[in-house]
Amino acid sequence: MRLQEYQAKSILKSAGIPLPASTLATNAVQVKRIAAEIGYPVVLKAQTLESGRGSAGGVRIVHNERGIENVSNEIFKLLINRRPVHFILVEKALTFMDEFYLAIISDLENSTPILRISEAGGATFLESASFEDALVVDRAIDINAGLRDYQIREAIAKMGIDPLLWKQFQLIAHKAYDVYRQYDATLVELNSLVLTEQNQVFVVDARMSIDSQSLFRQDSFTDAFDPTYFGWEERQALKYYVDYHIFPGDVGCIVNGMGLAYLTLDQLLSLNTIPAAMIDIRGGATSTSIASSLEMLLLNPRVKVVLINIFGGMTRCDEAADGFLQALSSGLPRKPIFIRLEGTNGDTGLDLLQKSENLSFFGTTEALVNATAGWLKGEEL
Amino acid sequence: MTILISAQSRIMVQGITGRRGRFHALQMLKTGSQIVGGTSPGKGGEWCFEGRLPVFDTVSDCKQSTNADVSVVFVPPHATADAILEAIEAGIKTIISITGSIALQDMMVVKSILKNSDSILVGPNSPGVLLPGIANAGIFPNDIALQGNVGVVSRSGTLCYEVLDTLKQNGIGVSAAVGIGDDQIIGIDFQTCLELFESDPHTDQVVLIGGPGGDSELKAARFIMEHGTKPVIAFVAGDNLAPSIVKPFFSHSGSLSLASLGKKTFALKEAGARVANNLNDIPVLLTS
Repeated sequence: MRLQEYQAKSILKSAGIPLPASTLATNAVQVKRIAAEIGYPVVLKAQTLESGRGSAGGVRIVHNERGIENVSNEIFKLLINRRPVHFILVEKALTFMDEFYLAIISDLENSTPILRISEAGGATFLESASFEDALVVDRAIDINAGLRDYQIREAIAKMGIDPLLWKQFQLIAHKAYDVYRQYDATLVELNSLVLTEQNQVFVVDARMSIDSQSLFRQDSFTDAFDPTYFGWEERQALKYYVDYHIFPGDVGCIVNGMGLAYLTLDQLLSLNTIPAAMIDIRGGATSTSIASSLEMLLLNPRVKVVLINIFGGMTRCDEAADGFLQALSSGLPRKPIFIRLEGTNGDTGLDLLQKSENLSFFGTTEALVNATAGWLKGEEL
Repeated sequence: MTILISAQSRIMVQGITGRRGRFHALQMLKTGSQIVGGTSPGKGGEWCFEGRLPVFDTVSDCKQSTNADVSVVFVPPHATADAILEAIEAGIKTIISITGSIALQDMMVVKSILKNSDSILVGPNSPGVLLPGIANAGIFPNDIALQGNVGVVSRSGTLCYEVLDTLKQNGIGVSAAVGIGDDQIIGIDFQTCLELFESDPHTDQVVLIGGPGGDSELKAARFIMEHGTKPVIAFVAGDNLAPSIVKPFFSHSGSLSLASLGKKTFALKEAGARVANNLNDIPVLLTS
């Protein structure tokens, strides 16, 4: 889960990482007042999680108070990847002589954090092409030993950084790693790290992502997200620990497990049928989370038909059936439901559902998907 | 017959009094697996299933009394890393984590300690290891597979059930099914499982069921190319999705990933595996 820039910066600042002064604003009048407090020039940065902020015009330098309200309003009117901008971060603009990249990233294949330092400041971790010609040093960190001074030293020495600046770099690297550990981050990216004329190292841009599987101990993040950013369904999904994926079509799907999600998706698309949503209830879902998943689909006006594909291992089919019955008895709009229940306690589950209306039962994924796609085609005729 | 477990395996369950652990311990007992006991901190001294299984406070107590050498972990996600570390320190040989969605940094800690131990970790987010007719350490539905000579290894649990079900419908038997788990950081990978099947006299052919994300399938392809002697049939879920249709709609918060689309099927084919485009191709390829 990516944090907004202002959220990341506030965490980094409290950890003692040097950042230029900045404050969040929600309207043009506030922007102007904050800019006067901080002192010109300032950078106005649209707060968004979408990529392409810069090219959309979401980052603007303003040198004096003339026109700052107009510029702010232009930014507030932007749609970046269809998402509106609700906040602008007003930040002191720094002039600098040199730029670097420093990040703690997660290497999932080798199961370690990595310290990455590069002279390619300004490029992002995701734009790997930008790193191709630049000097990049990666150091794997043993998480049980922590980040060591010598690892940082080796990296910055290779970078040819002036030894007079090493202390500042080491301090920043350690603090970035502390933040990574303390907040269960998957990424702490300081990009770029700039060197001012006064030989001070500052972080002018930063990104942080939090491991969504750590929310049991990082509960401050459960509600930390811009509420306008997630739709109602996505917030429900977060609450009930299901995975919710939005598609442009009209079949509402519930499956257990990612493999089954892909298989169902593969087969639907091969019949030119596109889902409206794919909900993965994951292994061992409770009847409440299953009920809530079906409710989301019944309430979604784009969903014309519901497809349920459960092959229970950890998920017990009787519990799944119980969840579906809860949702069906809650007075929500009725829709045809095509269902396949197989695996652990499958027969008990099917018995429970026999009396419900609108349900059609199938034995395999293939039969289930064929019938759903066929029903939609009949509907279109 | 030995792939990670055997008929002689003495299986314990961590979290045996919990809702999931209790249910699946009973399922495993019903399939005739040698379940010897389990743990539930604070409930040591109690018994499960009308005195059939002893409950212990700690893994080391359980191991001492029952000589357990395999542990199946059912504790909640926030306690799973701790449970795995406890099993490693107690010297459990094969640790199978059914629980999934473990915090990444917890798994980094586990993997770093695992490296210097003699334990093998299967999962997290694994359906377990099944030797049809011999032993079931995990949550594979009962009677899902016939005994035979096809080894099955899968990342996804549910997809593994689908394949086992398809094989059974076609009268094809299985030597062992291993779910390596669907979490981002897992213990044993495809390659290790292929090595096990290569040296197993009861396995003639292998079905590999991959999925998007990570590069474990690519490592497996390299192994097949360099060392594989037994035929491998590969099925990679999601590898045929048209990115133009689905890519813009994948939720930024979700776990679906399209980064490796198409690459895995290609690499496996290049390495000499025969590729199934859908489930029903698998029995056809196995018998042709």
